[in-house]
Amino acid sequence: MAMAALRREGRRFATPLLSPNPANALRSSLVPYEEPVLSGVRCISTQVVRNRMKSVKNIQKITKAMKMVAASKLRAIQTRAENSRGLWQPFTALLGDTPSVDVKKNVIITISSDKGLCGGINSTSVKISRALHKLNSGPEKENKYVVLGEKAKAQLVRDSKKDIELIMTELQKNPLNYTQVSVIADDILKNVEFDALRIVYNKFQSVVSFLPTVSTILSPEVVEREAESGGKLGELDLYEVEGAETKGEVLQNLAEFQFSCVMFNAVLENATSEQGARMSAMDSSSRNAGDMLDRLTLTYNRTRQASITTELIEIISGASALEG
Amino acid sequence: MTLNLSVLTPNRIVWDSEVEEIVLSTNSGQIGILPNHAPIATTVDIGILQIRLNNQWLTMALMGGFARIGNNEITVLVNDAEKGSDIDPQEAQQTLEIAEANVKKAEERRQKIEANLALRRARTRVEAINPIS
Repeated sequence: MAMAALRREGRRFATPLLSPNPANALRSSLVPYEEPVLSGVRCISTQVVRNRMKSVKNIQKITKAMKMVAASKLRAIQTRAENSRGLWQPFTALLGDTPSVDVKKNVIITISSDKGLCGGINSTSVKISRALHKLNSGPEKENKYVVLGEKAKAQLVRDSKKDIELIMTELQKNPLNYTQVSVIADDILKNVEFDALRIVYNKFQSVVSFLPTVSTILSPEVVEREAESGGKLGELDLYEVEGAETKGEVLQNLAEFQFSCVMFNAVLENATSEQGARMSAMDSSSRNAGDMLDRLTLTYNRTRQASITTELIEIISGASALEG
Repeated sequence: MTLNLSVLTPNRIVWDSEVEEIVLSTNSGQIGILPNHAPIATTVDIGILQIRLNNQWLTMALMGGFARIGNNEITVLVNDAEKGSDIDPQEAQQTLEIAEANVKKAEERRQKIEANLALRRARTRVEAINPIS
């Protein structure tokens, strides 16, 4: 019974090849040439799909592992970032955060990661830096970049090489600590002249959201000028300043300390965002790999089944030809 | 009127609660702060911070930074801070001895400055354990 059904099936498959209409006649003239290639292709294609499946599986393993690593790093660095947040808030209360201040020498500090595969956080901070550069440009104004991290360097070197004053990379080779960051901050203060420093980084909000943020730090002279003119920093004049010979001296110290503290927080926030972004990027890519694997498995099984069916048909039609 | 003190370092919050009185060492000498103090912004030297709480004096070693006083809120931002009770006396004493030896050894200007700073830090820590009251 089953044999009969298969035979019928075989005939149904065989008929188009013998059909007399012109379109098929044209194709059938190609058939002798095409036939060996077709069977060959079928064989190879399963091989190709199998290889593809294997590589997708391996990629999935890697992305899964990277996700795990990012998740465990995230937890450690997140608590540190949260602890460092308390430090810059008093500074903001005292000196204010005035991104709109209009000064001559602007230095934009772009903080990015050294490694890739972490979503869009690096390109956002580069984009924001470029926007700031454009926003603050004008006659008699100077804009410079200080770049931290390999990824922003790669992007900024391309189009604004002449504006880059200082590049620092491999920040995260050893775990971030305050001493290391304050040394970097010192380096920047020594080598770069500025009226306002604008630190661009990604503030960590949650594992899936990172806010590109700008923190502005004014040079002591600008702080004094603004405070005296009673502008945005008028509140500072309410405080009596003690602890050194002149007010300028205290402000100088204060600005330096503020810069290293804000830097420390910014670097930690950015590192946390990096891990968070990497985690979600790796999560979605492992999911994607899973989807791809499903599709490939389906194709593979279908092709395999098709080739089995064809082989069966060939055998059966051969047998039935002998019989008949 | 209550006075709130918070001592912050880059890595953690060392103190965040009410106090009765504090004595803070600034670059121009020690200042005592009671409730309703006038607003002040000052640098904080490497030195000890004394805190009066329930009529008992506590000490803390501060490693330089800033303080902001105003509105009955004291915010002390320092590079590092340690409570006197958390410091290991033996270890602090040893560090002091090493620092003293280093000062004698130092020859270059830079080395001398660094050694002196280290000595002051070590001395402050030892002082914080045995406060002179």
